[in-house]
Amino acid sequence: MKVIEAQAAVLTNYEVLQHLTQQKERYKQRKRRGPPNLETVVRELIQYLQSYPNPLSQKPSTYAPDCISRLLERLSPYELSKGEVVMILNLRPASVAALNTVIEEMAERFSDEQQEEMVAIISEVLGQFDAAQGNANDTGDATEANAS
Amino acid sequence: MFILTKFADLVQISPEDFSKHSIVAIEDNINAKYANKVVQKIGLCISLFDVLWTSEGLIGHGTGLVNVNGTVTLLVSAAIQHAYMTIVEFRMIVFRPFKGEVMLGRIRSSTPSGIHLRTDFFDDIFVPYEELPQGAEYNHSEQIWIWNFDEERLFYDNHEMVRFQVIDEEWHDQTPVGPTQAEDTPAKTPYKIKGSMAAEGLGVCLWWDGA
Repeated sequence: MKVIEAQAAVLTNYEVLQHLTQQKERYKQRKRRGPPNLETVVRELIQYLQSYPNPLSQKPSTYAPDCISRLLERLSPYELSKGEVVMILNLRPASVAALNTVIEEMAERFSDEQQEEMVAIISEVLGQFDAAQGNANDTGDATEANAS
Repeated sequence: MFILTKFADLVQISPEDFSKHSIVAIEDNINAKYANKVVQKIGLCISLFDVLWTSEGLIGHGTGLVNVNGTVTLLVSAAIQHAYMTIVEFRMIVFRPFKGEVMLGRIRSSTPSGIHLRTDFFDDIFVPYEELPQGAEYNHSEQIWIWNFDEERLFYDNHEMVRFQVIDEEWHDQTPVGPTQAEDTPAKTPYKIKGSMAAEGLGVCLWWDGA
């Protein structure tokens, strides 16, 4: 074994989940399984990525293949670091308080209005949990109507 | 949380896998070797991402090598059990959160020295007591940590979902070091993450999201 490049790229949770679900589909179609160690880690990882409050647990998914580039474009004026954007994509902070945990020295770098703007952009591009999401599956048409 | 790492490795495909397409056999072979395993200073390997390049397959007989083209069937039908080898360059999805990254985990257990966290696929995350917010105290009778905040008692209950920040990592190579190693020393975990829950917004998710 030789490591050619320790870190060739950074992946967001969404991209990882995409890859794993596609791989699962492919296996299913060909009616075959991967090695047991792969099956285990993939099952556990999908479970992790799809449990609340992970944003990928939301059904139907609010993430789409183009949401990463759209978010990058919308957040470009704020000059966030790559790591900060990756965390925003993975955690989808829904309030200024939550955004504060992923952005370093937020109070010094951004005004209160800018912080609010960023939270608004995040929920616009990546969506957000319905208010009732906390108590599980009762997100019916009523809440959707309220959201729009 | 995840990165892509580029590896090169020698893949040996045994005769019983000759019925598979080469790419499938290579994929299974790499996943069987890497998936759910820690590579030192790289991280926890999850799954093959893609194959970038493979060398021409070669069949070893004794120490010699035979080109794979057209030879595979011949060798199999002759029931000579030789694996075929190929060098593969590929990319792996690897779990390796960066320092400063905030991520989600669950409380596994608490001791006076701190809180053990886990995710569904990775168990070795530890938040030492000095990385808990001010006013946190350990309750010996219930064996949990409690955060006293504004006269309120907030509990770090087991199985609670928490947000934490990665502040450090620890690697322990598990390669045997030889007879000097005492036989009863417990194996150290190969990759351990040290976390912090001291900053505002970190800790049990319900405290921050619920209201």
